[in-house]
Formats: sequence, structure tokens, C-alpha cells
Amino acid sequence: MVGYILNLLILVSISGILAASLNFIIGYAGIYSMAHAAFFGIAAYTGALIALHVSTSLLVAIPAAMAMCAALSLVISLPSLRVRGEYFVVASLGLQMIAFTVFSEWKDVTGGLGGITGVPIATLFGYKLRSLESFLVVSLACLAFVTGVIYVLARTSFGRSLRAIRDNEVAAAAFGKNPTLVKTIAVAISSALCGIAGVLYAFHVSFVNPETFTVDQSVLIMAMIIIGGTGTVFGPILGALIIHLLPAGLTYLTFLPARELASMQQIIYGGAMVLLMIYRPSGIIGRANLKDTWSK
Amino acid sequence: MSAPVLRLKGVNKRFGGVVAANDVDLDLPPGIVTALVGPNGAGKTTLFNLITGNLKPDSGAIELRGRSLADIDPRGAARLGIARSFQDLRLFEQMSVYENVLSVMECSALPWQPGGGAAARARRDKADATLELVGLTRWHDARAIDLGYAEQKFLSLARILVTDASLWLLDEPASGLDPASYDRFVKLVRGRLADGITICLIEHNLDIVQGISDRIAFLDQGTVLAAGEPRAILNDPKLAAIYFGERR
Amino acid sequence: MLFLQLLVDGLQLGALYALMAVGFAVIFGSTRVFHYAHGTTYVIIGYLFYWLAERLHVPWWLAAAFAAFAGVVFGVALDRYVYRPIQRDEGSFFTVFVASFGIGVVAENIIIILFGASFVSISTPLTRAADVGGGIVVSYLGIFSVLAAGLLFTFLNWFLARTDVGVALRALSENPELVRGFGLNPRKLSQYTFALGSLLVAPAALVATCVTGLTPTAGHRVVLISIAASIIGGIGSLRGAGLGGLILGLAESLAVWKLSTGWSEAVAFVILLGFILARPSGLFGTRARV
Repeated sequence: MVGYILNLLILVSISGILAASLNFIIGYAGIYSMAHAAFFGIAAYTGALIALHVSTSLLVAIPAAMAMCAALSLVISLPSLRVRGEYFVVASLGLQMIAFTVFSEWKDVTGGLGGITGVPIATLFGYKLRSLESFLVVSLACLAFVTGVIYVLARTSFGRSLRAIRDNEVAAAAFGKNPTLVKTIAVAISSALCGIAGVLYAFHVSFVNPETFTVDQSVLIMAMIIIGGTGTVFGPILGALIIHLLPAGLTYLTFLPARELASMQQIIYGGAMVLLMIYRPSGIIGRANLKDTWSK
Repeated sequence: MSAPVLRLKGVNKRFGGVVAANDVDLDLPPGIVTALVGPNGAGKTTLFNLITGNLKPDSGAIELRGRSLADIDPRGAARLGIARSFQDLRLFEQMSVYENVLSVMECSALPWQPGGGAAARARRDKADATLELVGLTRWHDARAIDLGYAEQKFLSLARILVTDASLWLLDEPASGLDPASYDRFVKLVRGRLADGITICLIEHNLDIVQGISDRIAFLDQGTVLAAGEPRAILNDPKLAAIYFGERR
Repeated sequence: MLFLQLLVDGLQLGALYALMAVGFAVIFGSTRVFHYAHGTTYVIIGYLFYWLAERLHVPWWLAAAFAAFAGVVFGVALDRYVYRPIQRDEGSFFTVFVASFGIGVVAENIIIILFGASFVSISTPLTRAADVGGGIVVSYLGIFSVLAAGLLFTFLNWFLARTDVGVALRALSENPELVRGFGLNPRKLSQYTFALGSLLVAPAALVATCVTGLTPTAGHRVVLISIAASIIGGIGSLRGAGLGGLILGLAESLAVWKLSTGWSEAVAFVILLGFILARPSGLFGTRARV
């Protein structure tokens, strides 16, 4: 039982990092990316390969994965951020699909559909993180780090520039801001932070395969943000919690066939997203509907 | 009169069949307020867009202190010291009043601005001081979208005041303000002329434009019909007819 | 020779891609809705066809017609009950997009529950192929694909040029405000748009069910190809979307010449990224980039 809870909390931390880092661009910049699972996967594969061939130290794997993700984010941001935001969504979808193909086909490096197995135990400053407890502490620390970075950035001039560009890009440019560069940097930061989650995941489950990093996963991360709310720092984490607790909650509804639980969850998220978009676009925690302020 | 700060020569712009700018010659002399007036659709906002690089002219020259603006985009225009406000305000609606004014001074794309802590403090002080000047201090942390109409107009002006631009292009900045607010607005705008700012504003209301401007240019259908002293322009019956009359 | 065979296959695939793409482009052009659930329409049509024809043994032509009709109903219902309410509340592009793929997720999983997650397909005599000489093989379904494309595009051309509704739809895509000004009812028009767009996706779904088989997650790829084709052809141009679809079909088929099937599926998206980088307005883009 304890092991189950520890495992759950580790997964929630990892998802929290995924959701928070995606919210950095969706909530603060208004940039919708469908490629987050791809970056998650890129980091996971990078982490796994480094653990197997270079070093099991988190202090090596994590920065390497972050750099990899940030660099690859340029593949979609450089071409598409020059143009309208909608192109970025499409480009990110394209990257997501290409990434999945690469994960499945580049057998020499990624192990193809079978993936990479036998990822060794993570180490930190030489200390092996053998127990679930120790790994949980590290995961929570990473979550705190990511949340802290986002919180601080949002309050700096960069965060203000990002929000200004989100609120009115034309005016922002008219006052001398560089929307394309700011957005590109934001996407790179978001992808890099996402990379932390990827490495943690690879070490935690000790294997990596393409199935985890599909469009559906990208959608799930987005669901966490939408359900939890995009306007706050903790909304995405709440969304991650809800989405991870839901399966556990569903098992109590014994009339539901166990085989179909995964699909039932997805139906609930999908339905929640649709209903929220119709009735409350800013999510459960998010600020009240903008309509309420049009009282003039 | 000294050399104009901004000069448009023979500027043309068409959109399909619509002539937005027709062989426009316009000079903006330094240190004064020039108003662009004319009926709706006369091409006034188009001229602003051409100056700031939102649109490219089909032909003609636009020069800022002798430097051609042909290859400029809005960002570049801002860096050359042109500040522009919009008819529909374009405030950063989800950000606070304070952040709206502060953010305008932060143009570097990097997570830090040049000048370090001292410059950051100076910017914050300047933002506070500007809010004080325009009378928005009590709205310091309110969201821009929650402000009343008049307050939003003053916030738009505050964003301009806080830059160190030397040429202001204001698009209907004071339309719809009540007389008391309007007087306050005029004082704020004209108050900066002493610092050597050049101002061009688009104004719809002929009754009030005389109080704010030193020179007027009258546009209709993309053409500058007249330019000169406000009194002469405003008393011209032909122009009045165009403004009020035959054109739908 | 292999190249020619791949070319022929590419044309068949391209015809189907062109139909999907134009279906998407018709919807996006007139309503500005990023109809991610376009892929869901495809999957629904395919699975319904499979269920009726293979499980309930309904004659295939009846099953196909019914499935296509169901797809149309789905598209129109989505517009009426999901997109329109959101757009009424000043929903942004992205709000609609999120709702659209939310629908996709729900439908995909309902199908997984009902039919399982693996391939389903129908075996029909139509999958038989004929040797047309030179060792080139053309299947009846391949011919059907090209014919269907030809027929539907001719119909579309006529519809957009000669009927009141069609002309109104073209006007809508140029200038939405104008349409309201002329007293036309945008709501009714968007219904037609979604009906049309959803109908165009039917041939691809029907053929795929017979030939390659269908999975619940197939919708993602369908809508992505449709968007890619629309961008390559140029947003705002239906002809461009069709051409884009043809190009993508050919490219994917010909890629097999040098790459394995797995890699060739990624070719479309590489081309997409290339266009976004070098020529975002596409081949025939008409929309101004503001």
C-alpha cells in the first residue's frame, strides 16, 4: 500500500512538472503546443541512453536532456513563431508525429517499438536512489524547482513581456518588443523544464518505449492544465493530481469493467475539456470567465 | 521653421480599388502638435500604419530626421523613437495598470534587462511617477480590462509618456472624454512639448481639436486637402462641407 | 517497374488525401473552426461501415451510404452543439480547438470500448486488383478512389459556383461580416459547410476500412494530413488543399521507394514543416498574413 502511494506521488510529481512547464507557454504566452509528449519522450530516451552509456548521475542526465529538448524546440519554433500562432499548433502536431515515428523506427538508437529496457538506478552525488522514498524526495524537489522557476520568471520583465505579447502582440511590437524572440525563448524554456520530467520518468520506470509518448499523451497533459486552470501556478499541479487520482477513484465504481478503465478515464477528460471550453474556458481554478468583466 | 522631424513625400497606397493614400505630402515640424482631421475612412490611421511600418507604401518616401523609414517594421520604429497609440487602445488587458506601464520600458527579449538592479529600480520609479502624473495611482494593481473608459484612455497615454520616444503618433487619444478629463489630457500631452517631443494626433472631433493642436492637416479619401493654422482650416466652408456633408 | 507502381498507388492515395483535405479546408475557410474532429468523422464513418457490413451483414453499398450519412450528421451536430455555443461566447481559436480534440478523445475511446484497439477491416471483392499491363497493378478500390475524387470535386465546383448556398459559402470565407450584412443566415450556412466537409471525408474512410484497416486512433493522422495539405496548398484555397493532398499522397507513396513504410509516414510532416519554414502562405495562399 505504501509503495502504491509512493509510486503514485512520484508519477503525480512527474506529471506536475509536465503540466506546469506546458502551462508556461499556454497560460502565460497563449502558445498552444501539442508536442509536449514528444519532448517528454526525447528527454526520456536521452536520459535512458546517458544512464546506460555515460553516467547514472541525475546531474549529468538532466542537464543533457534539458539542452536536447531546448535545442529541438527550435525546430518548431523558429519556422512557425514568425508566422501566426495557429501555425505553431500545427507545427507542434507535426513534430509530435515525426517524433513518434523516430522513436518507433530508429531501432539502432531507440530500440524501436520494444524501446530501451534495463535503465540503471539513478544516482545523485554518488548516492544511489534505490528506495521509492528517496526518489520521491528528488521528484518533489524537481517539481518545486520547476514551479519556482516559472513563478519567478512570470514576475520578471520576461514574464511581463510574454504576457504583454499574449494580450496584444501588435501593441507589444509597437513598443519595441520582439515577439518572435520572446516566444522562442519561452518555448525553449518550457521544453527544457519538460525534459526534467522525462529523465525522472526513465529512471523511475527503468524502461522507455514509444507508446508512452503519443499524441494522446500530449492531449492528456493539456487536459491537466485545462481542468486545473491555466491562470495560476498551482492549477496545473492540481490538474495532474486529479487526473492521476481519477483511475484510483474509478476502481471503486465496481460496476465499471476493469479492462475499460483507461478508456473511461480518457472519456471523462475529453468530456471535461469540451464542457469546460463551452462553459468555463479558464478551468476549475482559473480566473472567472472574462465575460464577467464586460460590465461597461 | 526648423527642419521637419517627419516628412512624407508623394506617398501612395491602394487596397484593391480603395485609395488609402493619394500622393500624400506631409511635414511634421518639431516641438508642436499637428492634428490629422477628416471624415471616417479618410486614410488617417493608414498614414500612421505607413509611418510605423505596419504597411508598406506603394510609392513615395517617408523620412524621420532625414533617415528613410522604407525598411522599417513597428519594432524598428519604436527603437527609432516613435511611440504610437491605437484607436482601439490595445492595452495589455490581463495585466495590471502598473505592469502595462512598466512593461513598455522593458524591450530586451532576454530574461533580464540591461542596466541591472539600478536601472530596474529607476524603471519602477518612473512607472509609479507616471501613474501619479496621469492620476491612475489608485488603480495601480487593477487589471487593465477592469478600468473604466476614461481611465483606459489615460493608461494608454501613460504608456506613451513613460517611453523616451521623441515622436508620438496618437490615434484618437482623447475621443469620448468628458470636458474635465479632456482638459487634463490636453495639459499632459502639451506639457511634454517643452522637452522637444513632436506630436501628431488623429482627432475626429473638430470642436476640440483647436484646443490641442498647433497645426492641422485635413484629409479626405487619402488626399491631403489642406494644411496650416487651425483657425484657417476649421473656418473653411469647403472643408466643413466635406466633413459633414455630401460624403456618406 | 516499381516507380510506376508507386506512382499509381500515390495517385490513389493522393485522391483520398485530397478529398480529406478539401473537406477540412471547406470547413476552416468558411467557419474559421480548427475542426480537429475532422479525423473523428473519418473514424466514425469507417467503424460504422465496418459494423454494418461485417458484423450485421448489411449490403456494403447500404452500409457505406448510411455510414457517410452518419458522418455528416456528426459534423453538423458538432457545429450546432459545441462549436457554435463556444463561438457565441467570443471563444478564441484555441478554445474551439481544445473542444474539438476533446470530442476526438471521447469518440476514440468509445470506439476502443466498443471495438477494441486493434485493426478492423472489411474483406470485399472490391479489394481485388487488376493487372493493367507493364506489371502495374490497380485495385478496383483504387479506381473508386480516383473516381470518387473526380466526381465529388466536380460536384463541389458546381455547388460553389452555381447554387445560392455555395456562392454564399464562398462569400463567407472571404468576408464573414459581409454575409451577415446581406441578410444571409450564418448559422444555416455553417451547417451546410460542416455537412459538405464531412461528406468529403467519407470516401477515404470507406476505402481505408477495406484496404489498410482502421484503428481508433487513425483520426489524428487524418486531420493532420488535411491541415498539412491545406497549409501546403495555401490557407484559403480549396484548389490548393486538393493539390496539397495529392502531393502528400504521392510523396508518401514514392517515399517507400527509398524508405521503409514506417519512415514514409513521417514524410508528410517533414514536408509540412518545410513549408511552414520556407513558404507559410503555401502554393496558392490567398489569406493576408495579419
